[in-house]
Amino acid sequence: ADPIVIKFSHVVAPDTPKGKAAEKFKTLAEEKTKGAVKIEVYPNSTLYKDKEEMEALQMGAVQMLAPSLAKFGPLGVKEFEVFDLPYLFRNYDDLHKVTQGDIGAGLMTKLETKGVKGLAYWDNGFKVMSANKPLKTPDDYKGLKMRIQSSKVLEAEMRALGANPQVMPFSETYQALQTGVVDGTENPPSNLFTQKMHEVQKNATVTNHGYLGYAVIANKDFWEKLPEDVRTGLDEALKESTDFANQIAKEENDKALEAVKASGKTEVYTPTEDEIKAMQKALAPVHTEMADRIGKDVIESVYKATGFDPSK
Amino acid sequence: MSALIIFGLLMMLMLTGMPISIALGLTVLTFLFTMTSVPIEAVALKLFTGIEKFEIMAIPFFILAGNFLTHGGVAKRMIVFASSMVGHWHGGLGLAGVLACALFAAVSGSSPATVVAIGAILLPAMIKAGFPKSFGAGVITTSGALGILIPPSIVMVMYAVATNTSVGALFMAGVIPGFLLAMFLGLTTWYRARKNNYPRQPKASVATRIKAFRDSMWGLLLIVVVMGGIYSGIFTPTEAAAMSAVYAFVVAVFVYKDMGLKDVPKVLLNSASMSAMLLYIITNAVMFSFIMTNEQIPQTLAEWMLAQGLGPIIFLLAVNVLLLLAGNFMEPSSITLIFAPILFPMAIKLGIDPIHFGILMVVNMEVGMCHPPVGLNLYVASGITKMGITELTIAVWPWLLTMLGFLVLVTYVPELSLWLPRVMGML
Amino acid sequence: MKWLDHLEEIFITALIGVATLIIFIAVVHRYASGLPLGAFQDFLLSIHMSWAQELCIILFVWMAKFGAAYGVRQGIHVGVDVLVNRLNADNRRRMTTVALSAGILFTGIVAILGARMVWENGLAYVALNALGMDTGSHYEGPTTPDLEWPTWIVYMAVPLGSSLMSFRFMQVLANFWRTGDLPHHDHGHVEGLDEVEPFPIVEQKP
Ligand code: NA
Ligand code: NA
Repeated sequence: ADPIVIKFSHVVAPDTPKGKAAEKFKTLAEEKTKGAVKIEVYPNSTLYKDKEEMEALQMGAVQMLAPSLAKFGPLGVKEFEVFDLPYLFRNYDDLHKVTQGDIGAGLMTKLETKGVKGLAYWDNGFKVMSANKPLKTPDDYKGLKMRIQSSKVLEAEMRALGANPQVMPFSETYQALQTGVVDGTENPPSNLFTQKMHEVQKNATVTNHGYLGYAVIANKDFWEKLPEDVRTGLDEALKESTDFANQIAKEENDKALEAVKASGKTEVYTPTEDEIKAMQKALAPVHTEMADRIGKDVIESVYKATGFDPSK
Repeated sequence: MSALIIFGLLMMLMLTGMPISIALGLTVLTFLFTMTSVPIEAVALKLFTGIEKFEIMAIPFFILAGNFLTHGGVAKRMIVFASSMVGHWHGGLGLAGVLACALFAAVSGSSPATVVAIGAILLPAMIKAGFPKSFGAGVITTSGALGILIPPSIVMVMYAVATNTSVGALFMAGVIPGFLLAMFLGLTTWYRARKNNYPRQPKASVATRIKAFRDSMWGLLLIVVVMGGIYSGIFTPTEAAAMSAVYAFVVAVFVYKDMGLKDVPKVLLNSASMSAMLLYIITNAVMFSFIMTNEQIPQTLAEWMLAQGLGPIIFLLAVNVLLLLAGNFMEPSSITLIFAPILFPMAIKLGIDPIHFGILMVVNMEVGMCHPPVGLNLYVASGITKMGITELTIAVWPWLLTMLGFLVLVTYVPELSLWLPRVMGML
Repeated sequence: MKWLDHLEEIFITALIGVATLIIFIAVVHRYASGLPLGAFQDFLLSIHMSWAQELCIILFVWMAKFGAAYGVRQGIHVGVDVLVNRLNADNRRRMTTVALSAGILFTGIVAILGARMVWENGLAYVALNALGMDTGSHYEGPTTPDLEWPTWIVYMAVPLGSSLMSFRFMQVLANFWRTGDLPHHDHGHVEGLDEVEPFPIVEQKP
């Protein structure tokens, strides 16, 4: 019989961690289902753009995606915006307690009411702040035009720092930084480096203030109608490619940060403990400000899982 | 195979004379209904999201700005200035026409609009001054084409959107080729005028020149608003377009006062209608290229071509021939939107710079606009001069040949396009 | 139908005007709020303009859909008329009928597809809920990221605009059968330029 074709569309280049993980998933899935499925990976928004892929998935026009977690707020599952909260996760261990534990699974279930089947969380990494001046204390952000992706949480985060958030598509960011339309931005190091943004930013600070991650999702009806054995094969492939994705994401981000330092084009600053404390303090109000939106219970369950104490 | 069916169908539908946008759309629908498993709802979605991009919004803004400039007396003052500078040389008002077109091109994003703005005022004047109608028509039809090469340029915005390249870098890349082409067209004009001893203007005094410059300065300042604004980082290209629309409005209504506030709604309506037409083509072309991608046609073509061992030189020649052929039937926006997504992956595989490829496409489009059977500039000039298309076709030949020569130059000397954006640090 | 014509014109005129104004304000705001003006800066920073791009895009897409309908009665949509112009009168009439019918057909289909998309994308959920019925497999649709408007409302531009466009093609076809005339947009005509005073430089001719 002809293999079942799964179109897997994403919006980044094939050589990024997510792009590589998608290719890895393709290989593993085709292998584990013994050719019962054929995965067609469409990178770089060749099939659907950032703004339309979710609707396309809901309609069944594409079967699998790996959008950034920030995309689920507009879908109506605002609980996912918890991942954008500044300084909620201290490190990958904290994070994986959530994404690979019950909370993560619970959030994925919420997607089902939207016709979406959540399958796995893939890391990108923790973000650094960059601009054309040193960013040490919250005061340094005052009045800066900071590029963010569309997100109410990130907007609140930048406002809490006194910056002027500018929502701008990722594709326009390099040019905007280069010409000075915006002063700075926040990115995991791998994005900063692969987009060459470090060439047009003088300073970067390893604040690790926020997390950027993706969820692998499928059209729910499509997924549930797959033969049992095929789904088992795909689940295995997902599990292995998730480990792969998270591992290379970490590697690539570490490598990228070293490469940025080595380039000499951006001065990379690692803040002291006190400076981090000051940032945490400035950004703490964002948690309360966003509690109504995201859901107090979700935020608190994350606090509990990671042992985070908001009063500190 | 599916490529042949898609293109065959598109060609057939277009020949009935239906709008190109409708022909594109029907091709996509037919294909979707009969040959693919893409859910049909995706079409409706693409019809909205196809233009849901801030970069594309530069197009309506530039059209609006252009309309304010055309109605607001900016073109007229640029012509007076150009004429005071070069009118006394061989070619007289014709040469002034080339210069005025180049100046207007630097504030307007469209070629036909440039032909209209300069031609509608200058052509009657040239005829009165004793130039043969065909000479004037030839100069303006071809020089007007500078509108899409000298930034800002609507066609460049479309190319950028279709291929994900930077609008700012493309704009910068168009500057030197734009100057060069203006010079070549000027030389052709000068040579023909000298040979036929066409009338010249008396040499304008320095005082006259200064006055003409000061009168046209408000229009010329728009160059600073757009290009300066983009490169100093004050605006993104789309914002620069919006600012230039506001600026042009202020100049037309409050500075030159050639237009009253009561005329503004009419300009808005005309601009909206013209923009909507282009945006409608874009939406349908986006759908068309989505179908092509979905069928993996550009990727397959690119691989096939590499397997043939085609080098960049032959490839670029083939691209130019193909585009020149397409220029016989279609206008630049449709050609760019249909062909760029197909040709682009091949060009990249051959190591051709995306920006250089864009500029050569734009120059090719310029040629296409000036020759029959379909050539927007030609139609516009025919509207102004009331000359027939055949007669006009003969009239434009000397300049068209110049443009073809220039096309070869731009195609095979990438540095012409790439040098400036590189020194500006945009590549 | 005069009222519809006017409404259509006022609508698209307003859309392009408002979009221009919004981007102008957003740019001015971005720079003004970067100036160190103390309390005034804090005031400016407290104004949220991050929705400006999104709104501008929405306004322009609506303008594009309704402007395209307006363009049909203006004859602004360009086509390839090389072949048609070589036909004799009878065949040309047939071909034009085919072309216009294709316009009716395409825009009609898009209107229906668009309506289905809007229905699936959240209207069904809202409508069935309002009627107190079971929403079944219809889920609540997404919102736009910045303004957080339901996308089904935003996407209404497709079915509404396309319906109007289909109707405009029908009008043009009916009029063509009755009178043989087609709306024709003269790309070379510039309003107001016919009345410009004689070009000053001509008088300096020796
Ligand atoms: Na131009
Ligand atoms: Na042509």
